Amino acid sequence: MSAPSPEIRAASRTDAAEPAAALHAPTGRSWRMLLEPVVILVVGAAWMLYVETSDLDSIEERSLKPRYVWQKTWEHIELTLVSTLIVLLIAVPLGIVLSRAWARPATPFVLAVANIGQSAPAIGVVVLLAVLLGIGFWTTIVALVAYGVLPALRNTMVGLQQVDPDLTDAGRGIGMSPARVLGRVELPLAAPVILAGIRTTLVLMVGTASIASFISGGGLGDMITTGVTTQRTPVLLTGCVLIGLLALLIDWLGGVATRLLAPKGL
Amino acid sequence: MISPEGTVSFWEYLGSRRERLVFETWQHASMVFQTVLVALVLGVLIGVAVYRSARLSAFATSAAGVFFTVPSLALLGLLITPLGLGVAPSVVALTLYSLLPIVRNTVVGLAGVDRTLVDAARGIGMTRAAILLRIELPLAWPVILTGARVSTQLAMGIGAIAAYVNGPGLGEQIFSGLARLGGANAINMTLAGTLGIVLLALLFDGCFVLIGRLTTPRGIRV
Repeated sequence: MSAPSPEIRAASRTDAAEPAAALHAPTGRSWRMLLEPVVILVVGAAWMLYVETSDLDSIEERSLKPRYVWQKTWEHIELTLVSTLIVLLIAVPLGIVLSRAWARPATPFVLAVANIGQSAPAIGVVVLLAVLLGIGFWTTIVALVAYGVLPALRNTMVGLQQVDPDLTDAGRGIGMSPARVLGRVELPLAAPVILAGIRTTLVLMVGTASIASFISGGGLGDMITTGVTTQRTPVLLTGCVLIGLLALLIDWLGGVATRLLAPKGL
Repeated sequence: MISPEGTVSFWEYLGSRRERLVFETWQHASMVFQTVLVALVLGVLIGVAVYRSARLSAFATSAAGVFFTVPSLALLGLLITPLGLGVAPSVVALTLYSLLPIVRNTVVGLAGVDRTLVDAARGIGMTRAAILLRIELPLAWPVILTGARVSTQLAMGIGAIAAYVNGPGLGEQIFSGLARLGGANAINMTLAGTLGIVLLALLFDGCFVLIGRLTTPRGIRV
């Protein structure tokens, strides 16, 4: 629930009319682009150094072993990437199918369902699935996918809908097959919105993965719950700091991917 | 699925816990309402303070954006240390998350006001404050209200996680269900909490449509 909702992302994208030029701005800004991840990594390393060198009791020491912390971080990354991948594999093809002319009448209905589904709290979805499917990694993945698929679907559909119909008409007019119109005209034009959706999904998944620990899904949320139940502030804070930094890092990666993958000339 | 002993149907569950559920629903609604209201006041003030400088606007929105990327469980956890468990960290976290859409939309809305209108207002002798209150804010209001609407939806969901730090509201049902995983009524509790929040979210969204109709100045109504 904590990640930016598609409306916000979409709003920020359409409102910011001027970055179109800045999007592909060459060299001058490249060092700035690297500044953010460097800051994130330095803060993370400094925090770990600070925690590891401070006085810890035996519980804290066990939960803050570098190897354990790294394992939890990796689990978190795994949850995020696997669920994002599955979300995209479902949402993008489905969004394409639903935006074909013959499926257009169903669009408002699907968007309404997506809107209602989005108002379901993440924690509710996660716990409900745990009740139904039992706990563990794959339940967590199912819950994350169930939670992430609607916004991603919405984004794909909105992206394809806003393609100028004149352009698809023109494509058909010069003799392109529907598949070619889709591949050469619609998808490239919708790419920025769809890519923005991928970034949103990634951030959403990092956040939702942090509540996976409630249903034994692993990840950095484990450090938060351990910290709370054992009342060990350093463990709690380390979990929070690392999740926050991971979210920022993945958001940055998503931003870079958006820039690199967006078709030139838009 | 095997039904453990003591399991009742969902409707029976709702009936038997009616008072508690109504109370928690009320708590949830009032928590979201109050935090969004505070965020609306703070957010509009911040927006008004920064919108005239491009640099300050960019700073305010990107700072809020960075903050927004941090997952809610992490923020709630961070707030436990200074604020303890209970209502305080929940309310602070909810208010902070609600700020971003409102600040951003206030800045965007105010920046989108036609400059010629502001010039005209100055031309007929309106003061700075009068221009802001009578021209700029009313024109930006639909955009600001959309921000508050997004904030409300967010706060509904984050409010559920707040139950983890002993915050008030329907999240308690979900976490009770989690604590009794596999036991009697786990599914009923979780379902009651989740559906309750969905219903509240839809209800609030409907209210926003209504408020939007009623408060949008007549001249810019679509």
